[in-house]
Amino acid sequence: MNPRALQQAIVRMMYDPAFLAAVHGARPVPGLAEAERALLRRVDRRAFTTDRFRRARAVQALVEEFPTSAAAIGLASVDAFLSAPEFHACVTGRGALALAFGTWLKDQAAGAGAIEAAMARLRRPGPAAAGPAVDAPAADAPLICGPRFAPLIVPAGTLEWYEATRAWLGAEPLQRLAGHGPRPGLPRRGLVRGRDRGDEFVLLEAGADGDMSLGTASEALVRLLRHAARPRPRRALAAEAVARGATAAEAPEVLDGLLAEGLLVPA
Amino acid sequence: MADFLARVQQLPVLGLGVSTEYGASLAAGALDPAALRRAAPEFAGFLEVGVEVAKGLDAPARAWADAGWPTTYHFLDINLDEPEDQDAAWLAGVRACVAALRPAWLCGDAGMWHFGRRDRGHMLLLPPVLIAEAVAPLAAGIRALRAATGLEVLPENPPGSAFVGDLHLLEFFARVAEAADTGLLLDCAHLAMYQRLTGRDALDGLDHVPWDRVVELHVAGGRERDADGFRWVEDEHGVELLPDTWAIARAALARARNLRAVVVECERNPLPAVLPLFTRVAAELPTHMRPVPRDSRPGAGA
Repeated sequence: MNPRALQQAIVRMMYDPAFLAAVHGARPVPGLAEAERALLRRVDRRAFTTDRFRRARAVQALVEEFPTSAAAIGLASVDAFLSAPEFHACVTGRGALALAFGTWLKDQAAGAGAIEAAMARLRRPGPAAAGPAVDAPAADAPLICGPRFAPLIVPAGTLEWYEATRAWLGAEPLQRLAGHGPRPGLPRRGLVRGRDRGDEFVLLEAGADGDMSLGTASEALVRLLRHAARPRPRRALAAEAVARGATAAEAPEVLDGLLAEGLLVPA
Repeated sequence: MADFLARVQQLPVLGLGVSTEYGASLAAGALDPAALRRAAPEFAGFLEVGVEVAKGLDAPARAWADAGWPTTYHFLDINLDEPEDQDAAWLAGVRACVAALRPAWLCGDAGMWHFGRRDRGHMLLLPPVLIAEAVAPLAAGIRALRAATGLEVLPENPPGSAFVGDLHLLEFFARVAEAADTGLLLDCAHLAMYQRLTGRDALDGLDHVPWDRVVELHVAGGRERDADGFRWVEDEHGVELLPDTWAIARAALARARNLRAVVVECERNPLPAVLPLFTRVAAELPTHMRPVPRDSRPGAGA
């Protein structure tokens, strides 16, 4: 028997009534051997649901980090995440609740979700991405977007809706949302060409103290940084800068400026 | 390294103490450990500080340590059976807290403190799965943390409403203590929960316990709960001990010849409300437990 698989199954049984029912159901449960499932079934199933507020606390944690996304989709949908495959993968894969929620959101909360998912990622830099650059990069060493920045392309009007919604939510977003359904008006990309209001180009920056600064940026900068989402040779980024409007002579200077500001770092 | 039964003789006798965690003593109506020590020093021989590294130490805990008063470090954020949980950043935080507290040892519930990685919204506390295969990973984590800190690490039996596994909880922890060559913290209230949930008598399985490894006891009040006909005990840390908890505590006090410390967990209650419980527990302490502040000394035991 695998004790870690059993422990993770217990967590999933405590959060998700559907999974609890599956453990007690007729069919095999993926990831659990039948002997393991039998061991779990020996315990009164009511023992796994004594904490009536377990899900509510998880919802609260998500709303604290994704307030406008929660406003966009409503608390019932946030709660539904705790029964989604992404939540279960988070438990079994040593993931982070907020990151899994951001993955699960996909386009449900459109640009607001993209902004808050990016914030969640910036709060949790990976060990490789967290290291500061100390030496000047070699002439064509690969570069990557700086770990404190997230360049985003969201539907036009998103920032205005985001800021208005933050103000509407006030200091206690969960309480505000408890009495409301989804908040309308979130800009979304049109399904019909020509009816789309276009895009908004946003740059998100995490400060050293954890604060997030959010503002618009030029399309060229955002697209260049998104091109650098994975390591790119300097000459490839120079070519991208030229494709975004810089002259061939200006491109090296543009890259040097971005390196100086930490928007690009050696990969 | 000497085996634990030799090492335990070097652990100080701390006597009777009280527990806290970040912000607990600052809440309205909560116990101020320093006030308890001023009012009844024999009840507050040491402070067991519950630590989440991400939160650090609050001002009252730092003040206690700065006064040179004894402490123990109770972890609240480590899944001992997950090697990846003992990452460099967390260990650095532990060492910083250890440097501030200078605890006699580390201890804490040997269960699941968080699912996934250590992150916002992940905290819980579940007992270990009580199967033979779970012993080795837990013991390895205890050995690793002991090596990383240079302090004894005493696993505690956690609370719970669902205990999964085919081993008796006390047999499981006996195996862990043997495999990790360590001591034990027996939480009498948590054990009472387990016994009741599994339909056992309060003192069932005590023969499994390697009593010479039991270094610390916890006692606390619990609240009986009922939902949908399912009955369990909530780990309330109140001042009214359930009879089962008291019976276990008395049995343990009579058997644990290397006992060094007893914690009365009652941090959310005001001072006048806790004094009768401390008085009752103090009256049961064996003679080698010398519940006088500053009177802790290595080797005073057995």
